[in-house]
Amino acid sequence: MNHMWALYAREVKRFQKLLLDTIFSPIVSMVLYLAVFGVVMSSRSIGDINFVTFIYTGLLGMILVNSGFSNPGFALIIAKNLGTIIDLQVAPIKAWQIGIAFALAALTRGVVTLVVALTMTVWFIPDMQVAHPVALGCIVLLTGLQYGMLGVLFGMWARGFEALTFVTTFVLQPMIFLAGVFYPLAALPSPWSTVSMFNPVHHNINLFRYALINYSDTAPQTSWIVVLGTSLIFFGLMNWMCIKKLNEPIQ
Amino acid sequence: MDALLVQEASKTFVQNGQPFQAVKQVSMRIEAGQIYGLLGPNGAGKSTLIGMICGSVKPDPSTQNISIFGHNVVTEKEAAKRILGIVPQEITIEPAFTVEEVLYFFSGMYGVPTGMRKKRIHDALEALGLEDKLKARARQLSGGMKRRLMIAKAILHQPKLLILDEPTAGVDVSLRQRIWELVQQLNREGTTIIFTTHYLEEAEQLCEAMTVINKGKVIKEGKVKSIQQEFSKNLISFELFDRDVPALAGVRQVGTEFELPYTDLSHSMQTLLQHYGSNLKSLHNESASLEKVFLELTTEAQS
Repeated sequence: MNHMWALYAREVKRFQKLLLDTIFSPIVSMVLYLAVFGVVMSSRSIGDINFVTFIYTGLLGMILVNSGFSNPGFALIIAKNLGTIIDLQVAPIKAWQIGIAFALAALTRGVVTLVVALTMTVWFIPDMQVAHPVALGCIVLLTGLQYGMLGVLFGMWARGFEALTFVTTFVLQPMIFLAGVFYPLAALPSPWSTVSMFNPVHHNINLFRYALINYSDTAPQTSWIVVLGTSLIFFGLMNWMCIKKLNEPIQ
Repeated sequence: MDALLVQEASKTFVQNGQPFQAVKQVSMRIEAGQIYGLLGPNGAGKSTLIGMICGSVKPDPSTQNISIFGHNVVTEKEAAKRILGIVPQEITIEPAFTVEEVLYFFSGMYGVPTGMRKKRIHDALEALGLEDKLKARARQLSGGMKRRLMIAKAILHQPKLLILDEPTAGVDVSLRQRIWELVQQLNREGTTIIFTTHYLEEAEQLCEAMTVINKGKVIKEGKVKSIQQEFSKNLISFELFDRDVPALAGVRQVGTEFELPYTDLSHSMQTLLQHYGSNLKSLHNESASLEKVFLELTTEAQS
């Protein structure tokens, strides 16, 4: 296991070297979303919840999903381009441990980004609270790991930046934007609110809101099952892809 | 115990929808403590074979066995990798990290305990003449320094078997000498070394035994000296000032030189001196250099 932790430490060091891009860039995006929606819709509310507080809690979840996916995804593509992927192929570390080391580094980056974002912005958000602290801890850990594993899966799969950017633009971003970050699920017309239930990102965002402000579009129990289930599926797929790709010459 | 045992190793890739066998039923046995050469022209399958040994290329199911000091590289992958060091052909360096960081994390990935890493890094860098580059950015090193850093990476965990895939390609003469010395020193300390090279004088000087592969197949293996002897032809090579003179019976022209096979060296020399006299520019008794053996072997295999 020590071997795996050395790889984890290396990946943490990597994002520490690029703080502006890895930590502050997502925070700037979040602040821009908040500024735009805050100004335009500050008078609106969803039930008892201020609209700014509603989207803020969703945006925090979005940070973890984005950081989780992009950190290992792009690190692996860079490693393929530079040829340093061979370090992973020859090192005595099991394929699943390589995947988990990258996913844990992604989680760490997500948590650091989350803490910095909260410290900088939480003071401007009305009625912020932590309704369920244990649930918050669990969903932070699970979301970072879950999308970290997805990032490893696609980072291993993609041959180059184009393929990974394609997945980010045409798969992940639509999933995030249709997950209910910016609107409650009930606001969608009939078939789409049901379709959204099959979007795994929705359940992460839903549990973030539940843990922070005790609001949920979908029953938290359902969301926990979906998050745990998809985490296991992502782990299985990630392990399979790591074994497959680390056993062949990567071009 | 054998440092490396390869039995019937094969690897098939699919290229443009067609199966292509890069390595064909290769078998080789390398005794512990040797410096062993793996030779072959470009595209012979050397790097694929090395990939199969170091775990970056999965062997075909028909492969009987590849094991490092008794550890099978497929069924005991991690145990085999722990005692293997590899210096890949291409220089691949993490550009974001310093030399120290590259070595610190990589040795950690091989399980070198935190407390031992600094000492090992210092020793490896000193052996390779990079001790003043500890805090330098890896990407700012010169090509030769990067090559040395690659070797440092591979020896930090003190492997029992070290594979160097063309370690002296593109390095200057003094660095090549330094790498040779390091290879010999590591071997004296007990590390078994395999290396591939295009510089045949390297194999001639360093290796005790070698395998020559071409088009994925082993075409020759054995002790370097005995292979040289096998290919050694009793031949006098000579040059003439004036080449437009009647040739002696049995003499054949090869480029600007002439060759005369012999059975009795002193008799043939006498005949040659009598016939050509002062027209002889130079002459020498030809023994088979590894270069010639290599060319002969690979040409034979192609035809």
